[in-house]
Amino acid sequence: MAESRQLEAQLRETAEKLLREKNVSLFVGYEKASLPFRTTPLLLTKTEEAPRLVWNPFCNANLSVYLPRLFLAPADARAAKAAPAPPRVGVVLKGCDSRAVAVLLQEKQVRRENLVLVGIHCPGIVDRRKAEKALGEHQALGAGEDGGGNIRVVVEDGTESTLRREDVLADACLECRSPAPALHDILLGAPGEAARTGTARPGTARTRTAEFESRPLEARWAGFQEVIARCIRCNACRQACPLCYCKTCIFEQNRPRWIGPGTDPSDLALYHLIRAFHLAGRCTECGACERACPMGIDVRLLARKLSAEVEDLYGYRPGESVEATPVLSSFALDDPQDFVTEP
Amino acid sequence: MPSEWEPRILAFLCNWCSYAGADLAGVSRIQYPPNLRIIRVPCSGRINPFFLLRGLQNGADGVLVSGCHPGDCHYISGNLAARRKFALLKELMKYAGLEPERVQFTWVSASEGGRFAAIAEKVIGQIRKLGPNKKLVKSHG
Ligand code: SF4
Ligand code: SF4
Ligand code: FES
Repeated sequence: MAESRQLEAQLRETAEKLLREKNVSLFVGYEKASLPFRTTPLLLTKTEEAPRLVWNPFCNANLSVYLPRLFLAPADARAAKAAPAPPRVGVVLKGCDSRAVAVLLQEKQVRRENLVLVGIHCPGIVDRRKAEKALGEHQALGAGEDGGGNIRVVVEDGTESTLRREDVLADACLECRSPAPALHDILLGAPGEAARTGTARPGTARTRTAEFESRPLEARWAGFQEVIARCIRCNACRQACPLCYCKTCIFEQNRPRWIGPGTDPSDLALYHLIRAFHLAGRCTECGACERACPMGIDVRLLARKLSAEVEDLYGYRPGESVEATPVLSSFALDDPQDFVTEP
Repeated sequence: MPSEWEPRILAFLCNWCSYAGADLAGVSRIQYPPNLRIIRVPCSGRINPFFLLRGLQNGADGVLVSGCHPGDCHYISGNLAARRKFALLKELMKYAGLEPERVQFTWVSASEGGRFAAIAEKVIGQIRKLGPNKKLVKSHG
């Protein structure tokens, strides 16, 4: 819709101003990619580059993924003394991305005083795979929004077709409960867009989890195996996740080697169980992992369940508060324990 | 050979309560089936869920974790923090289609030799009924 054009202009202005007034030395946003339905992350340092910034329904990466590594402390004290001061960074955030920043702050991976958070009210973003599927035989050459918020595509023979927005929105966006970036310094756009277009279906994650859960045990195992069978262990899901910031990932450690690097079915199952578990009580349900997956795997199958459990058992939703103690670092004397054998 | 199959069960026992409880069961000559392979850990809070999954991957048919009763942890709250991790891990495994009986958590104090033996017997019985672990075990070679 025209609105995102307008937002894009505001975003460029904002970035330009931040850089010009030396409020930030680096600005992280999106730029046009060479393929349709995609954007590429853009790391800006010069004001004159600000016009390269874009804002559209294809801005699907969670840009907060870049932040922890910008503030990595040097390994030893002497190097730390000599190291330049960490940069001040501006970053574009959708609702879910801003929750990821909240978790990064909570876990002390980034410094608030070094961040300028530019939030945008998120109308939901397009899942490239859904769009490609909707086009069937056709190959998209270019894509953009039409006036009504739907997606207009030019295909190989030059003809145009329109994809209905709700048919191609990412699952995470259909399931999203808070598209407004709660944590921000600057806020662009207006709320309620998702509701207005009638696409938001909060609670769908629960329905999907309940559906999977209602299957018998063996069918769940078969379902899990079927979902992960195509995984090639490329680690894209891990790389795309802002909360997978460990310097040495447990999947890559070799002394001890915790897990084989290949696609042995047992290693695959462990990879997905552990990845989900490491994000328990931390995942902000941005869906960056599943959109990054080259194999189109439902990467959040297990994470959805853990999010629901964390909320039901401990009344906790990650990314809602910077001050709260992370759910797995805290406890209550009367935490439920019916899972315990002979409690 | 299914007729000869005996479950192999890893037992992670916290040093201060459950390990002493297991020891007491032995010293008191309380009989229970010999299927546990006991690993002593400083505290139930030391247990990384990865330990349990790795155990299953390497051929264990089940895992038992036991710590001090809530409130009695030698390090005050190790078992309370662990309780949240274990609750989520168990839910996660169940959801993914693994038999919930394969991974069990419990509390046994240093004076509860009888309780340790009873729980061991119960867990071993349940896992024996389930049969060998086939889902997570890695076939080497
Ligand atoms: S696990 Fe996936 S959905 Fe959750 S925070 Fe990481 S990238 Fe986002
Ligand atoms: S991105 Fe997809 S294929 Fe790659 S490791 Fe993750 S789930 Fe597997
Ligand atoms: S010392 Fe026994 S559980 Fe912590």
